[in-house]
Amino acid sequence: MLEKILPEKLYKILAEKINFKAVNEIRLRADKPIILNVNGKICFVNENGATTKLDNALYSSKIMIEDVIFRASECSIYSVNEQIKRGFIVTDEAVRIGIGGNLIEENGQIKTMTNFCSCNIRIPHIIKNCSLNAYPFLVKDDKVENTLIVSPPGAGKTTFLRDFVYQLSLRELKYNVLLLDERGELDSGINSLYTDKISFSSKKVGFENGIRSLAPDIIVTDELGQEEDVEAIRYANGCGVKILASTHCDNIETFAKKPLFQQILKEKVFKKFVFLSKRNGPGTFEGVYDENFSRVYR
Amino acid sequence: MKYLFMILLFCLCVFVGYYYSSKFSKRKKFYSSLISFADKLALEINFSRERLKVLTENFDASTRKNLLGIDEGFVEYLDKKGELTTENIFKKAQILTKEEKENVLLFLKILGRSDVENQTKEIKNFVSRFEETRQKCNQDQKKYGSLALKLGIIAGLFCVIILI
Repeated sequence: MLEKILPEKLYKILAEKINFKAVNEIRLRADKPIILNVNGKICFVNENGATTKLDNALYSSKIMIEDVIFRASECSIYSVNEQIKRGFIVTDEAVRIGIGGNLIEENGQIKTMTNFCSCNIRIPHIIKNCSLNAYPFLVKDDKVENTLIVSPPGAGKTTFLRDFVYQLSLRELKYNVLLLDERGELDSGINSLYTDKISFSSKKVGFENGIRSLAPDIIVTDELGQEEDVEAIRYANGCGVKILASTHCDNIETFAKKPLFQQILKEKVFKKFVFLSKRNGPGTFEGVYDENFSRVYR
Repeated sequence: MKYLFMILLFCLCVFVGYYYSSKFSKRKKFYSSLISFADKLALEINFSRERLKVLTENFDASTRKNLLGIDEGFVEYLDKKGELTTENIFKKAQILTKEEKENVLLFLKILGRSDVENQTKEIKNFVSRFEETRQKCNQDQKKYGSLALKLGIIAGLFCVIILI
């Protein structure tokens, strides 16, 4: 897929000179050097591959960025306008491209985004068994506990969730898992017989429709960040559906004080918290905490 | 032998006349098909929002053949197998003038680059331009198309008479 999205020259360098599997992000900014995030480390690109020096670094242009976005939309911007309005495009292979540009608003509603000037290409990775450290604490007697994955952006929350669903299917637990995939990037590489998916819907609508129509045992969703997301979680919990979700925060102490989550923390909706960081690269497993924020592992 | 040669010469002149005449009719058909293609795109972009490649490939085959291969070049470009240049797109469409080629190329270049509302407006704008050209092609065909064929027949007869 990246072959079709990226400019030929850049793709060749990434494919031949840099280990693609180690690249987490490619950032393109108009008239600025191309920046890579390789295993959590920031570097530039030149003809010979990744470099920390700015000399001879390859620069991206506005035309290049527009072309990347055009190609990522399969040459049909109109077909992904709803995503563009929310600031990103997700390709069929779950490559998520965050977009910067001019938002066009009319009567208080976002119509589209034009004049693209930057993009952040996030390459999904399947890291098999990355959730295994936490797994025994999240599944007891084959029953999944409500769990929230907490980590700063780009620290492997989505990868963890994907692998966790994979681990469930591997053990043939036969839970009906609903992936509520607001950005279309959660189900990449999950090969499970018991997984349904609702994509590109808000959490509120997705939870309500999903519970009514698909009767899931577990709902897996990414990036809780708004009041209505938290309300959706409370609704699902009230319906007896187990929840596996993630949210952004750079440490567990700060998370415990976040106003958005105070109500559900008080209600002890989540029984376990997994904290991931980028300390030793994305996906560094920092520990599992219980509902009282006592560390139960590590 | 002489009569056989005369018949061959006559046929050759008629063929040349027919060849020039068909150029005018092909141009007219090209623009009619291009307008149908653009209309179809505008409609589908508004309703199904299907990808350009699918829309182009699913376009009615009988109309598509009149597009003189520009659709094939366009699909190659969408697949990132070719550039969107005059040379690549108009390999089989040499009957178009330079200005016409640039206009059609401009049309292909704007496809897929904006949201539904703007895309539809842009397509409609091009359709009205193509409609003007189609009318001109229609007039040209009426004027020069039949003239070329008639001239071919007359030239053939003239050669035959001279030989007799």
